[in-house]
Amino acid sequence: MIRVLFFGPVAERIGSNTLQAEYRPGLRLQDVRDELAAQYPQAFEIVCFAAVNGEHVRDMSLPLADNSEVAFMARFSGG
Amino acid sequence: MKPAVRIQQEDFSQDEEIKALQTSSKRMGGIATFLGCARDFSEGREVSEISFDAYGSMALSELKKLRDDAIEKYGLLDARIVHRIGTVKGGENIVFIAAGAEHRVAALEACRWMIDELKQRVPIWKKEVTPQGDSWVTPHP
Repeated sequence: MIRVLFFGPVAERIGSNTLQAEYRPGLRLQDVRDELAAQYPQAFEIVCFAAVNGEHVRDMSLPLADNSEVAFMARFSGG
Repeated sequence: MKPAVRIQQEDFSQDEEIKALQTSSKRMGGIATFLGCARDFSEGREVSEISFDAYGSMALSELKKLRDDAIEKYGLLDARIVHRIGTVKGGENIVFIAAGAEHRVAALEACRWMIDELKQRVPIWKKEVTPQGDSWVTPHP
């Protein structure tokens, strides 16, 4: 199982802070993004960054391990 | 002594942070600081408070990396970063950054670099609460 986290404006558009995606061998970050973006297009309009297990990831072809924690995030506005 | 990098709900004391920085080295000839505050007016609207959301574990880890990177890039003797989350009212403190170096140029440049980088890479989001409704802040360039 992949735990998918959302924060701030993305969480608000999805209506939840966390979802689960089913793990399958060969699953890539892009696959999870594509599946969720199809279900929540308005939320993914503002997604600019992804993280896996708390680290920024730019390569969306990254293979995911089972039990990974993934986050899809809008542009940051801290400070 | 409190950790050099923190994310916390409660307010912080600039004096305490600067003292902690000074304690780390007597070779420090310059300390530059940045204090970010909550404005009570934004985009033509009154703002009563700002509410923060954060990916807490990643934000803390990114802030620690940011401090390490600044120390290495600018040859700092020490640096401290404190960011508040939760709800902050207009006029209150949000973020404090302090950079200590042997000379002023490195301290000033590192301080500017840290706040700019924080905005680019640390997963924290702010929402302005106004009488007309709430809205997530679109980052400024």
